[in-house]
Amino acid sequence: MRPEGADFPFDTVLVANRGEIAARVLRTVRALGLRSLVVHHAADAGSPAVRMADGLVEITGSTPTAAYLDAGQIIAKALDAGAQAIHPGYGFLSENADFARKIEAAGMVFVGPAPETIELLGDKVSARDFAAGHGFPIAPSAVEAHDPASFADRIRAIGGPMLIKPAGGGGGKGMRIVRDLARLDEELERARSEAGRYFGDPRLYAERYVERPRHIEVQVLGDAYGEVVHLFERECSLQRRFQKVVEEAPSSTLSDAERERICDAAAGIARAARYRNAGTVEFIHGGDAFYFLEMNTRLQVEHPVTEAITGLDLVAEQLKIAAGRPLGFTQSEITRTGHAVEARIYAEDPARGFTPATGRLLAYSPPAGDGVRVDSGVSEGQDITAAFDPLLAKLVVHGADRREALERAARALSDFVVLGCRTNIGFLKRLLRDPDVLAGALHTDLIAEKPALAADPALSPETLTAVLGAAALSIRTVRDAALAVPPLHAALGDWRN
Amino acid sequence: MRHLFLIGEAEHRAWLTRRGDGFALDLDGVLTTVSIESAAGSRVRLRVGEATHDVVLVTDGDHVHLHLDGEIYQVTYRDPVSRYAEAAAQGLGDLAKAPMPGSVVAVRVSAGDVVIPGQALVVIESMKLEMAINAERAGVVEGVHVAVGETFERDATLVTLAPDKEG
Repeated sequence: MRPEGADFPFDTVLVANRGEIAARVLRTVRALGLRSLVVHHAADAGSPAVRMADGLVEITGSTPTAAYLDAGQIIAKALDAGAQAIHPGYGFLSENADFARKIEAAGMVFVGPAPETIELLGDKVSARDFAAGHGFPIAPSAVEAHDPASFADRIRAIGGPMLIKPAGGGGGKGMRIVRDLARLDEELERARSEAGRYFGDPRLYAERYVERPRHIEVQVLGDAYGEVVHLFERECSLQRRFQKVVEEAPSSTLSDAERERICDAAAGIARAARYRNAGTVEFIHGGDAFYFLEMNTRLQVEHPVTEAITGLDLVAEQLKIAAGRPLGFTQSEITRTGHAVEARIYAEDPARGFTPATGRLLAYSPPAGDGVRVDSGVSEGQDITAAFDPLLAKLVVHGADRREALERAARALSDFVVLGCRTNIGFLKRLLRDPDVLAGALHTDLIAEKPALAADPALSPETLTAVLGAAALSIRTVRDAALAVPPLHAALGDWRN
Repeated sequence: MRHLFLIGEAEHRAWLTRRGDGFALDLDGVLTTVSIESAAGSRVRLRVGEATHDVVLVTDGDHVHLHLDGEIYQVTYRDPVSRYAEAAAQGLGDLAKAPMPGSVVAVRVSAGDVVIPGQALVVIESMKLEMAINAERAGVVEGVHVAVGETFERDATLVTLAPDKEG
């Protein structure tokens, strides 16, 4: 019996992604009674998504990443496998208008916005022009494409500090803060190189960098009939290298009046664009002002905190909207309960500047408990390689209030066992117990301004003895050396010195 | 004589010795009895003096990974031979090493080039993060040990500078 699936104009959904988000989307596809397929490169063998899908579509490429970016191959194989809809997840092809268009041309449903909407809003520059044109606030900025020859001069005219961004980018990649405009040309060159390699588009734009800003974003849902609602905001100010590390809903830094203004602005932008799908409108909030930053026309990594406080399944909403159903609720029917926190588990070494880490997952055991959800992209035994981004899993915790959610999240992190590959778990725990974080005094430079949070903490003599004792007993050479010494001498305890 | 262990960047010296039927750890002259009994799979019971800890422990060659009292530790046993060989190899700034595993995006120098401090030698990438590896001192490039597209592990030597004659 498929009580829900029976209403869908498609019965087989292919997930064109990998890692935790592929597993997340598959979970809902299956819960709705639809048949689930997932693409996968050989590098992802043994991952949770590959294990849970009803069917697998193997893809190949010159690199693993190239396979997941190969729109033509994915569409051809999706058709062969009987897919009628494609969910793109986030990253990879999720904001590629051409991919969406080709899926529709092939007679399948793209679980996302209309291709023209992706072009309008997915391009940061046209999205900013669109928002400004409809009266929403944007930061002082210079766009390279408007006049490439004068780009650097126009940046200098605005004055520092400036933030350089790829026009076709996202996820913080290729972004640079330039405080010393004497280094501008050099920074532009590096940003252009990264933009070209990551996004196939070297064009840049620059905007005034707000010092110690907050990053607030608003979840919206729009259906095919022009109806748009917001699902409140997410606080995403805790970042390293422009990438979010911890997200919350609601934001503790907004007053109720500010919350209403920012959520209404987000819904207004989406409504003006006749936006269809789940989407996220991002803002920079500094002092009393907020500026439109960009709109992400896809599911967001941190969507589970919104699910936790609203009780909605955003992937189910995306699929219903793609199926042509009208929204099942009005703005006033959407309520929020309690507070939710997400902590991103990254394969990286915080003590070495958050540089990526690799290794085999020798033990992997996520926490469980009241209000605890873990979206994992990896399984025990899997190799973590440098081929993909470092997100291993997301811990999402819901509590009655912010304090309870933060403390529950910190405790859950203590129970999170990941052995064999360095992660940021210890760092996240210190971050969630930082006095400024507990007080809600968040801004995007907080992590960079507190290097002690990232450093390996000094060990107490008791802990050091326990850790070295366990290690010494586990290393054969060390044990053999102990056994080689006659016990009488060893018992004296001081002959070695 | 002491065994050398690394936890993060910190080096620790300790010795394991027999104590009755079991073992004791000697850390800075303080002896503490230690024992491990396995529970299920990688879950073990660690006794340290009077204290008992439920630990998840996995050994991988010279690396011991453990989850102890809510924290994760990675301990590396350094055997003396490789350690002294490395220490004797070259002085500070002669080796440009990889701070992370990854692949080579660009090689900016070749053998014989004169470089200044801060000059980019190679550009590497890992998990979509691009990073320039710069010269730590002025000198002459002795060898470039990687090519564009090549992958490497953390701490791999990417570029060597000729020994500084004044140093």
